Amino acid sequence: MTKIAETVNRFPAGGQKVLQTVVRYLLMILLACIMFGVILVIAGKDPIASYKDILSSTLGSAYGFSEVIVSMIPMLLTALAVALPFKVGLINIGGEGQLYIGAAFATFGALTFPNLPAWVLLPLMVILGMLGGALWAFIPGYLKSIGLVNETITSLLLNSVAPKIVGFLILGFWHSPRDTVRTPNFVDAARLSTFFGTRVHLGLVIGLILLIVFWLVMKYTRWGLEMGAIGSNPQAARRNGIPLAKYLVVIMCLGGAIAGLAGMVQVSGFYGTLFPNFSMGLGFMGFMICWLAGGDPLGIVLMAFVVSVIYSGGNLLQLTRGLPYAVINILLAFTLFIVLGRPNFFKGKKS
Amino acid sequence: MTLLSILGVLSSAIFSGTSLLYTTLGEVIDERAGIVNLGLEGVLLVSASSGFAVTAISGNPYLGILVAMLAGGLMNMILGYLAITRKANQLASGLALMFFGFGLSALIGKPFVAVKIHSLDRFLLPGMASLPLKYSSLFKFDLLIYLVIPVAILVWWFLYRTRWGLSVRAVGENAETAYASGRNPRRIRYQALFVGGMLAGLGAAHLSIAYTMNWTENMTAGRGFIAVALVIFSKWDPLRAIVGALVFSGAVAFQLLLQSSGVQVSSFLLDTIPYILTLIVLIAWGGNRRHSAPAMLGRVYQGSE
Amino acid sequence: MKNKSLAILSIVICALTLLSACAPQSVTTPVATTAPIVPTDTTAPVVPTEVPTEAAPCLIIGATYGGSITDAGYNQAMHEAVAAVKTNIPCVKIIEAENVYDDAGATSTMQNMIDQGAKMIIATGFNHQYPALALSEKNPGVIFEHAGGWEVRANFGNFFGTPPEGWYLMGVAAGKMTTSNKIGFVANAPFGWGLTFINSFELGVQSVNPNAKTYVTWTQAWGDSAKEAEATNALINQGADVITMAVDSPVTVIGTAESRGVYSIGYQNLAAQQFAPQYWISGTGFTLGGTLTFLAGEVKDGKWGDVPFLRCGIKEGCMAIAPFGPKVPQAVQDLVKQKQAEIEAGTLVVFKGPVVDQNGTVRVAEGATLSDQDMGNVDWFVQGVVGSPK
Repeated sequence: MTKIAETVNRFPAGGQKVLQTVVRYLLMILLACIMFGVILVIAGKDPIASYKDILSSTLGSAYGFSEVIVSMIPMLLTALAVALPFKVGLINIGGEGQLYIGAAFATFGALTFPNLPAWVLLPLMVILGMLGGALWAFIPGYLKSIGLVNETITSLLLNSVAPKIVGFLILGFWHSPRDTVRTPNFVDAARLSTFFGTRVHLGLVIGLILLIVFWLVMKYTRWGLEMGAIGSNPQAARRNGIPLAKYLVVIMCLGGAIAGLAGMVQVSGFYGTLFPNFSMGLGFMGFMICWLAGGDPLGIVLMAFVVSVIYSGGNLLQLTRGLPYAVINILLAFTLFIVLGRPNFFKGKKS
Repeated sequence: MTLLSILGVLSSAIFSGTSLLYTTLGEVIDERAGIVNLGLEGVLLVSASSGFAVTAISGNPYLGILVAMLAGGLMNMILGYLAITRKANQLASGLALMFFGFGLSALIGKPFVAVKIHSLDRFLLPGMASLPLKYSSLFKFDLLIYLVIPVAILVWWFLYRTRWGLSVRAVGENAETAYASGRNPRRIRYQALFVGGMLAGLGAAHLSIAYTMNWTENMTAGRGFIAVALVIFSKWDPLRAIVGALVFSGAVAFQLLLQSSGVQVSSFLLDTIPYILTLIVLIAWGGNRRHSAPAMLGRVYQGSE
Repeated sequence: MKNKSLAILSIVICALTLLSACAPQSVTTPVATTAPIVPTDTTAPVVPTEVPTEAAPCLIIGATYGGSITDAGYNQAMHEAVAAVKTNIPCVKIIEAENVYDDAGATSTMQNMIDQGAKMIIATGFNHQYPALALSEKNPGVIFEHAGGWEVRANFGNFFGTPPEGWYLMGVAAGKMTTSNKIGFVANAPFGWGLTFINSFELGVQSVNPNAKTYVTWTQAWGDSAKEAEATNALINQGADVITMAVDSPVTVIGTAESRGVYSIGYQNLAAQQFAPQYWISGTGFTLGGTLTFLAGEVKDGKWGDVPFLRCGIKEGCMAIAPFGPKVPQAVQDLVKQKQAEIEAGTLVVFKGPVVDQNGTVRVAEGATLSDQDMGNVDWFVQGVVGSPK
């Protein structure tokens, strides 16, 4: 540790902190990789070859790298959907549900107005998606603001209800008789455009812009500082005349709107159709990423990147090592365990 | 709606609700101690897969059940280590455990998909055999189903009539006070997690060994989250959990009855009923302190130990 | 001191892993296909793929499955068909991916297979069609074959059996074996072909037992074991004494029926019989090994394309009828065999008019038949089916 500390000490103070954080996270990820390597060995697979596969399929080719970015996009948004309410002390674990309802609203737009030009239809779908997510977040937000129910519990319940509503909508109104439970493919005007022949779509731009806006607002505007104050001391805020209940609801709805946007971005940019259970845990993953990054926008981008590398890399692993794809969740979980566990020998502030 | 179809719904509800009830009882104990386990889904999967695997290899379903219970307890220990000793956020730790469960169960269960196992025997209770066959055949159950209500009563008794149960509840309400009165909140929480994990494992074992008699990836399909909802619905009370489990699985069975009678109602919408019910019930009691959650639920105990 | 060596170790490991990113992708070691632990009585044996030591493979085939290849059901049937290609054309190399549930995973997996050199992709999951289609546009040099869909392109084709024939025969058997006149059918979700299978089944039932009805419940998934058990129990509790299913794996439905002493009929794979030793009636399953061998051979020789939409039935050996269970009387067996002969001869057509739906509307006029296209677009149930087709 001393060698690293010496190297780090040569940098100016701000850079030192960043470098310390990066080194700390790198070492934690490494430890997780070693633990996963042990599991691989027990399962009779070659760990070195496995890691080679993961890294080469994600970082070793342009296409592989683009796939990692594609996988990151919704997580940037769902993590932001948690980070924003977190600033005022709200725990938004309802991202899963908000994402589904946002996707459903956006799908409604895409299927009901297929003849609109893209420059009208896409913004319409964005608005619809955000509306859907905001609506779904309003319920727990409102119930919390009038002191009735904890927003965590309500959000969890609504998470389970949302995909079923999506299923009902598809089966009841949107699917064609010959298809199983999915909508018809969206028209081109309803699809977010992709770049350079990869599957990276405009959602990336949306996600990054929102994260930058979030960072700027939090750091430099009066509103942002106000929110921070509320988050750290809600009682004082209320005494100072801030309408706390209204604030909480609005912020929760904003968080939901962002998660709903994530849903829209997925069905429009990635899938081009809506089907039940398309989320596969994106909302929860966003929650985890936000938590691990401490709500910091740059941290969100980095953690989302790491998670995406793991998930994308696991795909090749099942072909070359014969491991079920789901096993890559173990590597992810070890990473999460270690970062959550904050082992003592990593010096630095507790995140 | 004939008597037979009503009894049929009841039978289905008991049959599928047993695993849900065991899991819920386990989570009741955990949450009473102040820990919410969002990773329950992962715990159930690991228990179900390991129990099924052991049953397939050894040919003995009871051995499989024991292993599943142990697996459940151990999985919960991971949550304990993160949330209690490392003082990490419970929700995040639980979710991490869930992902771990997805991966580990897939690894354990892969060689055992569609393997035929020797399941638990089913039998009628002594009085039932005298009923006409069309009724008695509805209630031929296995040992775990017959044991679930006694176990629920046992859990109630442990929580409300023993010193240990009092400690668990005390720790869940106010850990500082509990510590001041000579209890060790950390140790009690670990114990609660282990017992709760074993009960969850028992539920998972019933699901894979006695009910579906099969293993597939992600076979619990959200049951972990249903259990978390059910704990809330039951107001953290083991006896109410019996009713809750019956209501939840009864809703599913009733929905299936409606479907196969040709009633054109979306099965998706009917599936949401348990959750909507829970939400309504929560809102109805909202202001009433008597029905609120254990005060320490979800909070990290920062004490000096 | 301990911290220092840990730091150095970490840096070394860091460097190594980063270095490996630049290394070429590892040579794929073919996955040895594990034979199912319980013996099956299907036609195509499961053969482990060998590592080609000297010669490069003449064709690399990538196959994706929506579930587990040992599920004793649809995925296993497809896997056995793919494995038969290897048996019949030994120079072929096969890469397989199981449990590919969703579109995103399907695309990445198939792309990875193409990167590994696959020139033929066999997408067996029903929902793999559109991901495969999108990839086919980006990879014109690769041939894609999807199981059971309808899209056709220059390098994209479809193959499948013709289940309605087998279902009709199973309906005949069920109609004869039921005493309560209630038959239970557990299925995924209402879509064209799914409804057609149920309709074919009930038409078979009605042909021998006009009073028997088929009760349908939906599980909303290809492979949700718990839901399947719930559905089966619910149907039995309602009085059904014959149960059948159209989900990926028959294990849970048939095993549950057997544990309650109720007759069962299998689908997808003849391996289902082992789960109901006593109360098995019969079953129909896919035996597409010959079909896939034919298609793979065409791709290998560069001659693919004359049958982009391939369907074949019992007569051609693509669908098989399982042996009868111990409780099926000889008379019933003979009747089923007789009807099978009629179907193969063409004298018996399943959807020959008049066919009336649940509400009394005539869906197929007297003398007309349903085309393949129509069968895939059905949104109604025939009379005698109790359940909602929407």
